[in-house]
Amino acid sequence: MPKLTIDGKEVEVPKGTRLIEAARKLGIEVAHYCYHPGLPIAGNCRMCLVEIEKNPKLQISCHIEAADGMVVKTQSALAKQGRQNTLEFLLLNHPVDCPVCDQAGECKLQDYYMEHGLHDPKFDDNKVRKSKKAFPIGPNVMLDTERCILCSRCVRFTDEITKTHEFGIFNRGDHSEVGLVPGKSLDNPYSANVVDICPVGALTDRDFRFKCRVWYLGKTPSVCTGCSRGCNIEIDYDRLRPHKKAGHDRIMRFKPRENSEVNKWWICDAGRYSYKLIDHGRLVAAKQSGIDASLDAALGEVAGLLAKAREQGRSGRIGVLASPDMTNEELFLVRQLFREELSAALAFEMAEPAGHKDDFLITADKHPNRAGAREILGTGLAKGEELLARAARGDLVALLVFHWDIAALAGADRLAAAARGAPLYVFATHENRTTYAARFALPVANFAEQSGTFTNCQGRVQRIAKAVEPLGESRPAWKILCEFSDALRLGWTHESAESVFAELSASVHAFAGMSWQTLGHAGATWKQGQPQEAAAAR
Amino acid sequence: MEPMILDMLLKAGLGLIILGMVLNIAGLLTWVERKQSALMQDRIGANRAAIFGFTALGLLHGIADAVKMFTKEDCMPKGAHRFIFNLAPAISVAFAMAAFAAIPFGNTLTLFSRTINLQVAELDAALLFVLAAMSIAVYGVILAGFSSNSNYAVLGGMRAASQMLSYEMSMGLSILGLVLLNDTMNLQEMVRAQGGTWLGFIPRWGVFTQPLAFLVFTTAVLAETKRAPFDLPEGESEIIGYFVEYSGMKFGMFLLTDFIETVLAACLVSVFFFGGWQIPGLHATGFHFPWGTTIPLPPLAVSLLGVAAMMTKVVFFNWLFMALRWTLPRFRYDQLMHLGWKILLPASIANVLVTAAWVAWRG
Amino acid sequence: MAANVKVLKRRELTWWENTFLPSIYAGLVITSRHFFGNLAIHISHVFGLRKKERGSTTYQYPEEKRPLAHRYRTRHRLMKRDSGETRCVACMLCETICPAHCIAIVAKEHPDPDIEKMPASFDIDLGKCVYCGFCVEVCPEDAIRMDTGRLDIAAYSRGGMILNFDHLMNPELPVLDPAKPVAR
Repeated sequence: MPKLTIDGKEVEVPKGTRLIEAARKLGIEVAHYCYHPGLPIAGNCRMCLVEIEKNPKLQISCHIEAADGMVVKTQSALAKQGRQNTLEFLLLNHPVDCPVCDQAGECKLQDYYMEHGLHDPKFDDNKVRKSKKAFPIGPNVMLDTERCILCSRCVRFTDEITKTHEFGIFNRGDHSEVGLVPGKSLDNPYSANVVDICPVGALTDRDFRFKCRVWYLGKTPSVCTGCSRGCNIEIDYDRLRPHKKAGHDRIMRFKPRENSEVNKWWICDAGRYSYKLIDHGRLVAAKQSGIDASLDAALGEVAGLLAKAREQGRSGRIGVLASPDMTNEELFLVRQLFREELSAALAFEMAEPAGHKDDFLITADKHPNRAGAREILGTGLAKGEELLARAARGDLVALLVFHWDIAALAGADRLAAAARGAPLYVFATHENRTTYAARFALPVANFAEQSGTFTNCQGRVQRIAKAVEPLGESRPAWKILCEFSDALRLGWTHESAESVFAELSASVHAFAGMSWQTLGHAGATWKQGQPQEAAAAR
Repeated sequence: MEPMILDMLLKAGLGLIILGMVLNIAGLLTWVERKQSALMQDRIGANRAAIFGFTALGLLHGIADAVKMFTKEDCMPKGAHRFIFNLAPAISVAFAMAAFAAIPFGNTLTLFSRTINLQVAELDAALLFVLAAMSIAVYGVILAGFSSNSNYAVLGGMRAASQMLSYEMSMGLSILGLVLLNDTMNLQEMVRAQGGTWLGFIPRWGVFTQPLAFLVFTTAVLAETKRAPFDLPEGESEIIGYFVEYSGMKFGMFLLTDFIETVLAACLVSVFFFGGWQIPGLHATGFHFPWGTTIPLPPLAVSLLGVAAMMTKVVFFNWLFMALRWTLPRFRYDQLMHLGWKILLPASIANVLVTAAWVAWRG
Repeated sequence: MAANVKVLKRRELTWWENTFLPSIYAGLVITSRHFFGNLAIHISHVFGLRKKERGSTTYQYPEEKRPLAHRYRTRHRLMKRDSGETRCVACMLCETICPAHCIAIVAKEHPDPDIEKMPASFDIDLGKCVYCGFCVEVCPEDAIRMDTGRLDIAAYSRGGMILNFDHLMNPELPVLDPAKPVAR
């Protein structure tokens, strides 16, 4: 374990650690463009120059391995001057078209110019102009070679991470430019990650293009709900216009959030662009057979029905179809309310077509919380189809459906049969054929509009946070469940989803010892093998 | 019988002429006020009201104002005393105009062998009549404040009442000296007594015999008109007085009262202290200059010259009052009371005592 | 504490000053000087004399406009390129810096890739604008200026106070027409 000194502070790092990482360990950020912790070292931007004692020249800290007794100075006048000169060279042919560049505001050229540059340019010749300005290179990415500083991060990403090899750097000298290999298009399922790793505005997102300046964005850490991987994301929403108006979304984009245990730095394109579902096609008001209705009336009817069924001892004939799209907290409340209190007929799974999967991030299971649902509700439950069949037979007094679009999975005929047999109450985020067929459809908030936790396929419990207010009349499902409990006089006192989680961790073994504080924004994994054991024990 | 009816008709005609004249002067004063203040302040003044593009130097604004006043909605506050609320502006304007009956606008006029006294009401106690009329006009103001059912109007009415009563006192006392000197309360007689000169060139006007009374009376009568610097009862620009609840022509009548009273004040100052229709050196037969020259004039011309002299004096004092109004800032309330009770009243009493002593000594 | 307090005694007025007559006289002299001086000038004007002197400092506003200082900030306009297009590239710096949040821009793609970006809509709510001029100073393209000299800003509705892209490009248009409120 080499021990070295950086800026007067001693640090001990494993052998093979690069200086830039050792410095980061001390909280010292060395300016860099080409270095990326998820990619192989290239060392071609020359921005991370530091001064090493007994070394005649400045060295790039991303490439030099830490050695015992090294004395590194990142802030010496020489190092600063070196980085400034490097930056000046990098900016030689940069067009400085920040006003039209989407990267402006999160551009490393801007950041480091303010930090290291502020120089008077000595270059008074004409800048080299590339043949084409911005042009699309795939369904999701725009390329502007003039802005490129040839850090080759994108090339390394397609070579090493996706192994699709779309990018290359062509020509020589000041004519060299990044580009696609002839005959290829950047259309792999992880293509938009090159936008995130591009430190400048050369690669920009076509979807985000000109939609919003990045300094208008509010950022909330969350988890992608596209599949059971549970990739960590950051929800970027428009701070200036937090309320949805016609033609204007509140959520501007998703960005992957680093989590070395789950998704590292990456996210698939499908997950990245799933933000559109947050504002589009939403159920914003209670519907009675597809027509706007009073939410209070709908809630009152369901609550009254539950109370009446319990009074008459028929609560076992209430069908509840929960969903693996619900948070752990909501599933726990479902368990408490419908199993512990009412002993209702409970299910949370339905037969679904197998989803697309790959060997990197995308999983076949398209629900964010199936592991949590299995842990909390148990694995031995009936399938949703059985509940539908019971409803169609007239065996149920009511059928409560959370999130599932039954019409799409089981067919409109079986839905209609079930709806004829028992009153159907659907708690949904989006309008679909099931909400039209329901006696009442009640709007619930989606994952961007509430706080909670999901358990991903690895058994990792990860927090989501509220980024925007629930749309229209919708409210989080856990609040609706608490309202039902009030109607049944169960004496629940949950003020927030966090208090629900505290109760969950106290009563469900796999979550034991966890709290929102200990989870943080990186999450925590329950013990391997625990879920099955717990389920078997039950 | 017949001469009496003719006399009555003549007096009625004279009354109508004077009334029309006074109202016209009052109307013109709105224009004068705008234009004079504008000239004093390097502005142009109202010049936009036009008929077919003809603005007549802004004179039409008076007409436009009248049209506006008459066509405005006439509001009455909830809970106001309907009868008194309607009566108050009428009292104000009617008694202000009634006072003109006793003002002599000229000497006797001889037409077609009839002698007409150019004074509508030949009252021996004309002075008392004028003071009484002006006092009753105060009632209009007070009643307006009290009948409006508005705290602000009541406060305005209170301010008006205390101010008017304070200055009425000094006003009455200051003229007492003139009454003692001239031994009459008939205004026509008083004017006649101011004819002639001392040493041939100083007219025997009241302003020279009673200079202190002139200052006191002018100040007091200005206070009676409720205009700056004595506009605390009104305070149009900010505090708002007794007529805060009035609108339309009723408000217009209060406004008109102010201007009529200004004319009245000018008339009274001319009559008491500047010889009314007297022109120095002009006698019943023509001009007699001190160095012996005479210009003989027919009696009709002399009478008309007298009327013209009176008008000139009235116009001058109107101008002076306007100039004062646009020169001086408003008094503070304590200053107002201080001036009224501690300066004007003692001064007028002293004036009466000194005059009385002089009259007694002279025999 | 009291060391720095300077007590100023008011001068006692003399008996004669206490009557206020000298002050009133002095005031009347001043105002009368203006009155007769201006009156003389106005009368001279009628006869075509002393044309160079002004009897008043009044500007007869709608007909006669007061000359504006060169730096005076008036209603906004958007500048044009030689081709007649807007210079604005919708960088939103003005929208960002605006302390009154009166600017709302939506960007779109410009057909010329060398320009790349242009506003799809550009609204300024004059009802909110505080005329600070920050938008002019911050603009990197000299695309917005406040030099139209137009101060006649009034409308019958709040919606009527909103200038859209066309109005900003053509500042001579009578935009705040009460009969046609500008749609948002």
